[in-house]
Amino acid sequence: MTSFLVRRLSTAVLILLILSFVIFLLQSVSPGDPARAYVGANASNEMVAAERQRLGLNDPMLAQFTRFIGGLFTGDLGRSLRTRQSVTADIATYLPATAELVVAAFLIALALAALYALSGALRWPGASVGRGVLLLLATAPPFLLALVGIIVFFGQLGWLPARGVGDFQDPGPFGMQMVDTLLHGQADAFVDALRHLILPAVVLAIAPAVAIGRVFRSSLQGVLGVDYVRTARSKGLGETYVVVHHVVRNAIGPALSMAGLQLGFMFAGVVVVEQIFSWPGIGNYLAASIPVADFPAIAGVTLVLGAIYVLSNVVVDLLQAIADPRIAAE
Amino acid sequence: MWLVATCTATTLVLAGCSSGTPTGGGGGGGGAAPTDGTLTVGLLGDIGQPPDPDVYYANNGTAIMINAYEGLVQYENDTDAVKIAPRLAESWDVNPGNDVYTFHLRKGVTFHDGTPFTSAAVDVAFKRRIAVKGGAAYMVEAVKSVATPDDYTAVITLNKPNTAFLSYLASPFGPKMESPEGLKANAGSDDAQTYLSSHDLGTGPYELTTAQTGVKYEMTQYDGYWGQKSPFKKIELPVYTDESALELAFDNGTVDTIVAALPSSSLDKYASKDGVANYFLPTLQGALVTVNSSHDFFKTPEARVAFLKSIDQAKLVNQVLGKRSEVATTMYAKGMIPNGADKQAISYDAGALKAYVAALPPNAPRTLVIGYANGNVNAQSMANLVVANLQTDGITATAQGYDTSTVFGWINNPPSGPDAFIDGNNGPDGGDPYMWGHVFWDASGGINYFGCQSTEVNDLLNQALGTGDTATYVKAGDLYGQTGCFLNLSHNKNWVVAQKWLTGVPESQNIGANELNFSLLGIGG
Repeated sequence: MTSFLVRRLSTAVLILLILSFVIFLLQSVSPGDPARAYVGANASNEMVAAERQRLGLNDPMLAQFTRFIGGLFTGDLGRSLRTRQSVTADIATYLPATAELVVAAFLIALALAALYALSGALRWPGASVGRGVLLLLATAPPFLLALVGIIVFFGQLGWLPARGVGDFQDPGPFGMQMVDTLLHGQADAFVDALRHLILPAVVLAIAPAVAIGRVFRSSLQGVLGVDYVRTARSKGLGETYVVVHHVVRNAIGPALSMAGLQLGFMFAGVVVVEQIFSWPGIGNYLAASIPVADFPAIAGVTLVLGAIYVLSNVVVDLLQAIADPRIAAE
Repeated sequence: MWLVATCTATTLVLAGCSSGTPTGGGGGGGGAAPTDGTLTVGLLGDIGQPPDPDVYYANNGTAIMINAYEGLVQYENDTDAVKIAPRLAESWDVNPGNDVYTFHLRKGVTFHDGTPFTSAAVDVAFKRRIAVKGGAAYMVEAVKSVATPDDYTAVITLNKPNTAFLSYLASPFGPKMESPEGLKANAGSDDAQTYLSSHDLGTGPYELTTAQTGVKYEMTQYDGYWGQKSPFKKIELPVYTDESALELAFDNGTVDTIVAALPSSSLDKYASKDGVANYFLPTLQGALVTVNSSHDFFKTPEARVAFLKSIDQAKLVNQVLGKRSEVATTMYAKGMIPNGADKQAISYDAGALKAYVAALPPNAPRTLVIGYANGNVNAQSMANLVVANLQTDGITATAQGYDTSTVFGWINNPPSGPDAFIDGNNGPDGGDPYMWGHVFWDASGGINYFGCQSTEVNDLLNQALGTGDTATYVKAGDLYGQTGCFLNLSHNKNWVVAQKWLTGVPESQNIGANELNFSLLGIGG
């Protein structure tokens, strides 16, 4: 198991290094001018040129890449050309909000996936309609789903806010509105934070919910047909009891693997959702950095998102290896 | 079924729990005037840079700059003339050589940290601007010295004559007065840049009290402000990233006003909406066409002029920009040169390009790419119309969007850019004709995307900068017009959509700022 873990982590580090290099390669061939982002759109060309030199953007790409990798070991991701703050500090500011949104979306996705799969297995009335609605929503791109959500729940019904997080102003300790409001005992602020969270979290959750739900449902159907389930039924046990106690536990493995992968995807896919809902996370930070070619910020966020995705895959691999030791032995 | 039931139940419970955000049925147009002293001004997109007056050099955050900070002078409000008006300086004198500016400062002004504003702050602000190296640092680069014979007099001596200096100071991007004590106390290792990314040290009517990048900004009325105060104790500036969401928020009264953010396609919707007031306020901005002279098709002035003549300026401007613009007839922005003496020579000629193309050798290139900035809906529409027109002239044309960073990178390699670029809305930092001519016509100016310039024009502009001679500016404009690299399409206006109860909108805006001075707004009706 140890060698398996070492192998997986080494691969993860290698992937992140390649990812970093690709980002720098893109920077070098991009027609954009990061120095312009630093001094502003109307700055004179002389000033832009001077800043380009000062920021080391005239150095060979390999030198810039080496400097970036060197910085990684000290937690220094460089300085954002747009915000003029340390990228590490910026990410530390914005990542908690993204984590809060993704975790909330992940929990919603798990709940919806369970409903999707179990409603079919237990033949709930109206289950096919529910699955159909979920499938329909999952086929829509997130930006469209977000806009429809805003139009209906904010514009027409006035039930939910269209943008932003709650109004809770007290700092920390976690930078997550719902968690912090709970810790401060602010019930009204908690509800306010929750209302702001619902639309973006549901939009983010729909597609992963269907992906996990389909795998879970398929796995459930496979297990429902095996001998020990038939035996349980023949003993007179109710269908719900059989499914919950004998089927789910044996069918949940593939769904959990898919859930792990979807968690990584959700971090990567959060950019659009955060942008539309003005959610103060790293997705929004990244979206604001791209048009002005703020490469230190782009590289930093990409690396963090890449690391989260790779690590979630490593965790999935590990869980699978624990469940089935033959995988680790391969 | 279970899905719909679960979602609806949860949402209803939470909607019921909430005592918060004012929402309501959409569409009605116009919310009630606020009773809690809060004005909500919706932003479309984040302000883009830290709200530090020596760093900030973009557009969306100008409202924060001009309400938290003040300069020595400003442009006069509520007029389309380019007139300098007092702000922290009550009056000023300029020597005949245009290189010594003496300002007599306002008494009784305090910074938001409570310290008094005196002439000492002028030198501190200028020096910080140079140290921080923001894009608008050029405005004080020519300052040789700042003398302070007393607490309320500042004598600024320049390295060389500069008649645009007052315009630099009046610009929303011009040097603003910052508390010397506050700067010192919060200097850190970056000249207080970290501190000023979420606080302010100005003298303006409002203090910046919340800065959540990408989410919202909040300003609170400064009790010690020397000037007029509005009934709005708090200004909220929520960030919307989607136009339709911003419009929905305005329609249901969550947002009270939207300044210079909506596309022209929304003009009709708000023109006839009850409870909504539309204002079209003068600016120095315009829609422009820039031609890439490095490309084969546009190597000669004849080709460039023929192309510009083929653009039906009136149709383009009226169809796309509508009420928010008027067709430009001058080389500079409206009002920069008295009596419109800077007349633009190029005018619409439907057959000009067709004739030019017909005379080309058979193997000569006949394809053009017309660029526009991504996200600029108006520029995209204009580019599409130009492309459609080019097809009828025998040219295969396409419209293509580019990111801002790419657009500003073309100057380093003009052949990498499109054949021509359409700006939906762009302008100089201030109202002096030099500022217009320099940024658009001089390759080192910043917005001359493809570096098409004339040494003679640059010399004339530099000469006029020292003397302020209008005839020299007119001559520079005439000569640059002959290059065929530039067409001033329209004089744009600042379209403000506001709930009808909001008063004082025209009186709170000036030609340079394109944003509202919140202290001059009120509640009426």
